[in-house]
Amino acid sequence: MSPAFYFFLAILALLSALFVWSLRSPKGQTDPAPSSAIPQDVQGSHVTHLPQIRRALAPVDVEFASKRIPREALRRMQRERRNVALTYLSALRAEFQTLLHTARMVAAFSPEVAGGQELERLVLTLNFLWRYRVIRIGVWAGFTPLPQISDLSDLLSGYSVRLEEAIRELGERAAMVAEMVSSPDRRRIDPI
Amino acid sequence: MVLCAGMSEIGTLERVLWGLSFSLNLALVLLLLYRRSYRSYPCFLLYALLNLSQAVVLFASLQRWSFGSAAVFKIAWGTQGMIILARAASVAEVCRHVLGKYRGIWGLGWRVSVAVAALVLTYSWAVGVRSWLLFVVTADRSIELAIAVAILALLLFAHYYQVVIEPAARFLLLGFFLFSCFQVLNDTILERWLRQYTSLFNLLGTLTFLASLLLWGWALRLDQRKAKSQPQLLSEDHYRLLSPAINARLKALDVQLGHFWRAEGRKT
Repeated sequence: MSPAFYFFLAILALLSALFVWSLRSPKGQTDPAPSSAIPQDVQGSHVTHLPQIRRALAPVDVEFASKRIPREALRRMQRERRNVALTYLSALRAEFQTLLHTARMVAAFSPEVAGGQELERLVLTLNFLWRYRVIRIGVWAGFTPLPQISDLSDLLSGYSVRLEEAIRELGERAAMVAEMVSSPDRRRIDPI
Repeated sequence: MVLCAGMSEIGTLERVLWGLSFSLNLALVLLLLYRRSYRSYPCFLLYALLNLSQAVVLFASLQRWSFGSAAVFKIAWGTQGMIILARAASVAEVCRHVLGKYRGIWGLGWRVSVAVAALVLTYSWAVGVRSWLLFVVTADRSIELAIAVAILALLLFAHYYQVVIEPAARFLLLGFFLFSCFQVLNDTILERWLRQYTSLFNLLGTLTFLASLLLWGWALRLDQRKAKSQPQLLSEDHYRLLSPAINARLKALDVQLGHFWRAEGRKT
């Protein structure tokens, strides 16, 4: 048998698997609506819980506790800390998915789409999801040390502000158009 | 339906299947006309008509020439070339039907699909057997594989952007995809065991075509049920302002996740 023979068989198997996967509809999926493309609550970020998470993961707490509480209690405490980290990871992923959904809806309902932006998002998504799986397994199994996660809160807040500004600008433009349409002098209608 | 022998040399089963596929093909054309589906799918009607014409031409040829004659070979593969092109156009038409209403992603989607299909076509041609005897088989396989990949690329695109594919288009694409994949498989085996496999190639090809005809017929039965609605598109500003801002925030979340990653790296 030539390698080409097996190559084509493998390609067909892969294509069939991908085809079945791509045809499967997520539960309860309906046609998307343009209104779902506009984020409603950009401030609802996990970042707001960072001080508590930071406290829960602080290494000094463990050091302090290890000298004062029995080993069993310490083990339970570490398990709980790990659960906090896992919850935090889930929150990161949930926020990522929400943003991704918004971005996809915006792209789907836009008359023009930039290939570069879409490719960048695809790469980010693949990178995020792959690392998320590896890290989650690592944290769950206890292989990964719990990190310091506080110093990026400012950065994330900065990006939230940027998104808020974009939404505000869109709102202002929509209001301006509405005002122009309702004004008697309609020759001035030019939203751009 | 190609590579058939003279009618007397064809087995009873093959003749029955051939007749059945001709009848179903005729029914499909009538269904397309009766349901006025040709308004949405004119290329598909052309494809179905070309299939019917090929069957008639082959039948007439086999009355005159024998199995394996050069004339039948040329007629069969010559008409097959036109049919493959019509099928490619039909696939493009169905894909446009699915994604066309979303102007932005359709613009990107068809370019990506055509690029991927062209790459696959070139690659599968390059790895194919370089023999003039197998020229048509290799060409057929390359084009069929490119069609299958183009369908898949569009479906993945629709899945990624959460575009719901209506059942009729889904069954049409399923029929095209299954047919193309099976043709690739059939051509690959034929290329390997040329003479010994010819009769089985005909039989399996006809069976696949029958299955696809049933799927297409089912799809056209469903087509009229769903009313078409055009989504209201956002202004260009939305994408221009929101998309970079969302990407930046996604990047920040990715960096945040990277802290766990680096922590793991430090430990190891």
